Amino acid sequence: MSSPRTVLLKVFRYGPDDAAPRYDQFRVPAGPRTTVLDALLAIQRRQDPSLSVRHSCLHGSCGTCGMRVNGREVLACVTRLDGLGDAVVVEPLAGAAVAGDLVVDMEHVYRRLEPVGRPLLRASERAGPDGAEAAAAPGTVPVLEELERFEDCIECGLCLSACPVAGDPRFLGPAALAAAERVLEEPRGTDGRAVLGLVDDAHGAWRCHAAFECSAVCPAGVDPGGAIMRLRRRLLADRLPRLVGRYHQEVPS
Amino acid sequence: MATRTEEDFTEATRRRRRPRPTFAWVAQVVSGVLLLVLLTAHMVAQHFVVEGGLRTYDQVIAWIRNPVVFAVEALLLVCVTWHGIAGVHAVLLDLGLRGRAERIVARVLLDLAVATILYGLWLLYMLAFRG
Amino acid sequence: MMRAGLRRGDKRRLVPRWLDPHGRHLGTWAFVANRLTGLGLVVYLYLHLVILSTLLRGPEAWDGLVELFRRPVFLAFDVLLVAGLAFHGFNGLRVALVGSGLLVDRHKALLVAAGTLVGLVTLVAAVRIVG
Repeated sequence: MSSPRTVLLKVFRYGPDDAAPRYDQFRVPAGPRTTVLDALLAIQRRQDPSLSVRHSCLHGSCGTCGMRVNGREVLACVTRLDGLGDAVVVEPLAGAAVAGDLVVDMEHVYRRLEPVGRPLLRASERAGPDGAEAAAAPGTVPVLEELERFEDCIECGLCLSACPVAGDPRFLGPAALAAAERVLEEPRGTDGRAVLGLVDDAHGAWRCHAAFECSAVCPAGVDPGGAIMRLRRRLLADRLPRLVGRYHQEVPS
Repeated sequence: MATRTEEDFTEATRRRRRPRPTFAWVAQVVSGVLLLVLLTAHMVAQHFVVEGGLRTYDQVIAWIRNPVVFAVEALLLVCVTWHGIAGVHAVLLDLGLRGRAERIVARVLLDLAVATILYGLWLLYMLAFRG
Repeated sequence: MMRAGLRRGDKRRLVPRWLDPHGRHLGTWAFVANRLTGLGLVVYLYLHLVILSTLLRGPEAWDGLVELFRRPVFLAFDVLLVAGLAFHGFNGLRVALVGSGLLVDRHKALLVAAGTLVGLVTLVAAVRIVG
């Protein structure tokens, strides 16, 4: 009977009492199916209870356990240690304020999604004509039963961490731009022209440099990179005729 | 969970009237495509036609006096300066410039582009007409 | 905006985020290479303009320079220049297409095609320059 192999985890540590970040080393047993999250929780249980880790569903659908493993953005609960080498570096998502160790404040994700109108939840046709109109009417708060999730995005923030540009807080970023493209593909009562105007900005769709890192790391198949390029195509199709004519854009009444 | 109202969206659209970022992209694409053609022509004509690959002084002067050559070189200069400086601007923007620093850098780059084009045109003129 | 207890997690960056290679995929490599070749070409542009100013000093100065540029080290640099130009040009064309929303799903295939063209052009140029 062979003893299980062990893996060395170099874990980013940064708490409210620390002057500076550091990397703590932990040796953990790892079987063929041990995930990064398994290892982190084992560290928390048996070696260092002060390690801060956040998770929820444990099967890659909630987006809570996003972090960087050997520099690459992954969901820790579905990332196996097997194949990552004997020493694995575990860090929090990039470009986010660290609440403690591997836990980050996800505000930078939500505040970008907000101006796009949170299209990830939109009026359901099943809610009936009144429900749909109530959700689209200005100044109202839609009732939860009237809304359904139509999108793949799980708001995990991996794309924003991976994006070479999203360190700039002004950039709308892959998640919000992909959400905007979904609104334009399927408006369901949302004002498409306003969303188009929102993304037609130096820090909107035009800030992307087509690295497609976001699409490479997205665990939910959103393909934000592709969505941003489709957004640009819409903008060009809309703006280009005006470029040769007048500069003034009409705002629909 | 409140959704943004239509008034908020309209306000955001009003603030973004002019399609300047779209124009910047189109300019970069157009200049880039032009450069693919012009630079290829430039490289071939300058270095792969003449014996030895490099023109002597007399050959350069004779070459630049050709009005077609002069025009192409001038267009190449404008395109490459625009495309290059715009590219540098994008790189600097990704360093996190904002506010006053961003405006200063944009202004400096614009001045640099204009100065480069003026210098290049002057050089072309001196060689073609005073060489 | 940081609440109490929230800290900046990133270490002091010596290099900008886009240059950090850890865990990155092919598309990012292409983007980084485009940036580096672009910056290199901008530097070369100004170097080139300075060198061309030698023409204003007359035939002796220029023809002497031409002799210098026939040395192997400069010829090798010329091949490097062509390679950098070819990459930036062909990958740039890919970025122009994909970045305008065309052939987006084929962006990796386009990169392979661009790379092939770069190899071909560099090979032809190397044979012509050094041969």
